[in-house]
Amino acid sequence: MSFATISRRLATATAVALLPLFTSGWLTGPQSTFETKGPVARSQLDVFYVTLWVTMIVFVLVAGVLAYATLKYKARKEDAEKPMPPQGHGNPFVELGLIALSIAALVVIAVPTLRAIWYTYDVPEEQRANAYEVTAHGLQWWFKFEYPAEQIDGTGALVNANELVIPAGRPVRVNLRTADVIHSFWVPKLAGKVDMMPNRGNHLWLQADEPGYFWGQCAEFCGESHAVMRFRVIALAEPDFAAWVAKQKQPARTVVAAPEQPKLVAAGYIPLVNPKRNAPGYTAEFDADPMGHWIAKQEVDAGEDVALALRGRAVFKEKACITCHAVRGHDGLGVNGPDLTHFGSRTTVAAGLLENSKVNLHRWITEPNNVKPGNKMYMGVNGMAGYMTADPKGDMTVAHIKVSDDEARALVEYLHSLK
Amino acid sequence: MEAALKSAYTEKDHAPQPAVRPWFFTRPTAKTGIVSWLTTVDHKKIGLLYGMFSLFFFLVGGFEALLIRVQLAVPNNTFLTHQLYNEMFTMHATTMIFLAVMPLSAAFFNYLMPLQIGARDVAFPRLNGFAFWVFLAGAIILNVGWFTKAGAPDVGWFGYAPLTSNQFSTHFKGDVSTDLWVMGLQILGVSSVIGSLNFIVTIINMRAPGLTMMRLPVFTWMTLFTAFLIILSFPAITIALVELMMDRSFGTGFFEVSKGGLPILWQHLFWIFGHPEVYILILPAMGIVSEILPTFSRKPLFGYPIVVFSGAVIGFLGFGVWSHHMFTTGLGTMATAAFSLATMAIAVPTGVKIFNWIGTLWGGQIHTRTPMMFALGFIWMFMMGGFSGVMHSAAPADAQQQDSYFVVAHFHYVLIGGSIFALLAGIHFYFPLVFGRMVSEFWGKLSFWVIFIGFNVTFFPMHFLGLNGMPRRTAVYDGNMGWNEGNLIASIGAFILGIGIFIYFVVIVYTYAKGKKIKRDPWDARTLEWAVPSVPPPEHNFHVTPTVHARDAFWYEKTHAKEIAEENALHAKEEESHGGIHMPSQSWFPILTACGMLFGGLCFAHHFFPGAIVGGVLTFLGVIGWAFEGPGGYHLHLDKDGNVKPDHGDSH
Repeated sequence: MSFATISRRLATATAVALLPLFTSGWLTGPQSTFETKGPVARSQLDVFYVTLWVTMIVFVLVAGVLAYATLKYKARKEDAEKPMPPQGHGNPFVELGLIALSIAALVVIAVPTLRAIWYTYDVPEEQRANAYEVTAHGLQWWFKFEYPAEQIDGTGALVNANELVIPAGRPVRVNLRTADVIHSFWVPKLAGKVDMMPNRGNHLWLQADEPGYFWGQCAEFCGESHAVMRFRVIALAEPDFAAWVAKQKQPARTVVAAPEQPKLVAAGYIPLVNPKRNAPGYTAEFDADPMGHWIAKQEVDAGEDVALALRGRAVFKEKACITCHAVRGHDGLGVNGPDLTHFGSRTTVAAGLLENSKVNLHRWITEPNNVKPGNKMYMGVNGMAGYMTADPKGDMTVAHIKVSDDEARALVEYLHSLK
Repeated sequence: MEAALKSAYTEKDHAPQPAVRPWFFTRPTAKTGIVSWLTTVDHKKIGLLYGMFSLFFFLVGGFEALLIRVQLAVPNNTFLTHQLYNEMFTMHATTMIFLAVMPLSAAFFNYLMPLQIGARDVAFPRLNGFAFWVFLAGAIILNVGWFTKAGAPDVGWFGYAPLTSNQFSTHFKGDVSTDLWVMGLQILGVSSVIGSLNFIVTIINMRAPGLTMMRLPVFTWMTLFTAFLIILSFPAITIALVELMMDRSFGTGFFEVSKGGLPILWQHLFWIFGHPEVYILILPAMGIVSEILPTFSRKPLFGYPIVVFSGAVIGFLGFGVWSHHMFTTGLGTMATAAFSLATMAIAVPTGVKIFNWIGTLWGGQIHTRTPMMFALGFIWMFMMGGFSGVMHSAAPADAQQQDSYFVVAHFHYVLIGGSIFALLAGIHFYFPLVFGRMVSEFWGKLSFWVIFIGFNVTFFPMHFLGLNGMPRRTAVYDGNMGWNEGNLIASIGAFILGIGIFIYFVVIVYTYAKGKKIKRDPWDARTLEWAVPSVPPPEHNFHVTPTVHARDAFWYEKTHAKEIAEENALHAKEEESHGGIHMPSQSWFPILTACGMLFGGLCFAHHFFPGAIVGGVLTFLGVIGWAFEGPGGYHLHLDKDGNVKPDHGDSH
């Protein structure tokens, strides 16, 4: 029986032992390290199971002896007359034997550890030619994903924000870069984390066995809003991925005003009134079928209000959104914020934090600091003012950009039209 | 001839000399009252000062922890802002490590180590006082941010560059929270290094006659190892902090990315300090437990040489595993493999200690008094923390665990279940020695069980949270991640733990005021610190410098009472013929010098450099005064019953 087989069997046995925790959801969340969906995470889990088994066995033995010794030699009332216990100083043979056993137990852990260190470090040699390459940039507090293989004439590589779309069943090498502080790229179901370090070119590799929708999160403390720096990974079957890339390479979709278009109420929604800070942006409905929602997002919304979207495009320019955001083919060219060319096709807003619904987007646009405190859209970035600008003392207290309710509705309609 | 020499010696060096010194060089002599504390050089008083302030900061750090757990009790909570939460976890860790556990260990070192080696004080008594006052200065600088607009430091206790740079951590003009953190840690480092050098010199040079190294109590051994770890590891973080301070204050580019600085350099420097620091926190705890277990098992420590040697091996290997904190930073395969294996290797000497403690219990008569309960709790919890430690020594598994709640669970098992349990055990164990009063068994055991249960309810679920993908240092989490139950249980546990700690402290305070008075040696202990003539010990510790004949020196004394009595009588005569019991004089200069550092440090952190220079000058003047006030010292003489004769001795 090979080592891998043994560890696989032990893993299964552990999983069964831990079943109650799985069934009650304690180990089956969207970022569970147990529900692995790719070879890298699986290899890491296998090593974990080896460590778990070895330490469990040692624990049972040592704890058993400890408990036995404590109970057996506990002083009792009648011991008062008993003589002192023998004042022995130890037994070298027992000690050496235990040291040898400890080393043996560690060797059992060390062997698979070493194998997995090399396996998880980079795409295996034989698959390297087939690997797909993307570059992930960490920024305070969002992720930018760049596709060096997908060049767009006159623009450069295709970029996307906060949702990394990858081909399923194929190794993906992710180059890890950061423009500011240290971040860490972690999609637990696909692979353990690797940090994005300034002035250091890190990378990791991962592979999704099947198409799927995965949760990820920054795992290195990176400042005020570290907790809400999240992202998603969407793995698509090879043809779907190709179709997605082709579509993403297109410039932004421009809505055409059709005079006969009826005014639809569908665009209407009730914005949250004074939403609570940190109010959740997820729904059970979405979580039940995230992939379905992602697919639906690729299509134009039913009942699109074209006039409102056109108004939104003007607001986008007026409110200086274009200085930081790019909408390829439209007005924006900024690079400080996420590229919004195909924003309407994303399932999340504010770096994987809120579902990309009209209500959530409205909330993000009108009160960004309430959603993600300290964010650069609100506080300004690289010397440019954001929604706020500095007073003479250097505090961010002076309002710079104000977005009214109507303007926000227009922006929402425009951004959601960018499929 | 001999008589002539003796008389010359007494006349010249020990006769009272006319007061020709200026008033500011007059040594204070107050034995009670505030001045006696401010000018003290008595290792026991300094130990008590360390103890009081570290317990105060322990409560502050615990309060911060409770606020953190309130925030995390439910998803998407708004109890704390992100900013405040970040300050809270930064200060919780910084406080617990540098202001609670380290100084509480220092309290034990100070109080017990000279007693355990049969000395009258440490080698450099004024330096010992200085180390404490410098510690207090550092603690003030670290915490002063709470009372300013900028708030406390918010960069994490690890302060990873470049988040600590001006660009990313200065939120508005005059936000010096990070500068305060940098300065506070540097000053605390000064305190730790000074204290450690003092302990090393003391242990090497001032052991009682017959106390060979291999007869040292294990706690003193661990003090020695810890002191060596401190003096070898603190320079690394000091260098890193000085570089960071230069970056922030004078625009150098050690970690400044735009100037080609390397943030990874900070991590190497920080963790080459930071990992030995882990052992700085746990070795004293192991020492305390190694004193308690033999006492309550009524037999000597099992495998003393191996326990000592494994402590040395842990200290040594502790310098070779720092990069396991950096498995996710892209070290490459070879470095990751090397540090993975080295980390596994350190499990061997650690495991050996656990085997030896169990061996100590084996065949003994185990009396489960309160200190013993905490010590047994220590073994269980430390063992569990050790096992999760082995789990993340395997680098591939650690890729999923690092910076997740699994790690939070791990290090709280070794630091609360390990260090804190042992320190709480030590407080109970030594309370009769230090205060002459005994903590009630019922209340002591009650606090143990509440703490034990609260601790496990808090931290055991965190293993599952981490494996279920919850990252640490996050102020909020969504309710759809499967983390709700675990977090709520952990928060409830935190309050149970808080109640347990509250009971513990109430009992301690009550016992201090009204507890049952006891005679010396209530536990039938084994080591020399219990050989003091009375509890609390007199200022001069021992009427006669003890002579050590065996590893468990006091045990030997008790079993060979007649031999020891004769020997002591002889030694008392000898010591009296040498001029009496020599004691160090008190001094104002340690605290004055520390005040200069406090003032200068605060000014420097606020980028007010003239003030910093003034602080530096004050520090320098303090040192000059210290040097010129003379060595001091006086002699005590005892009467037949061991009382100090009313004549205060011939000071000089």
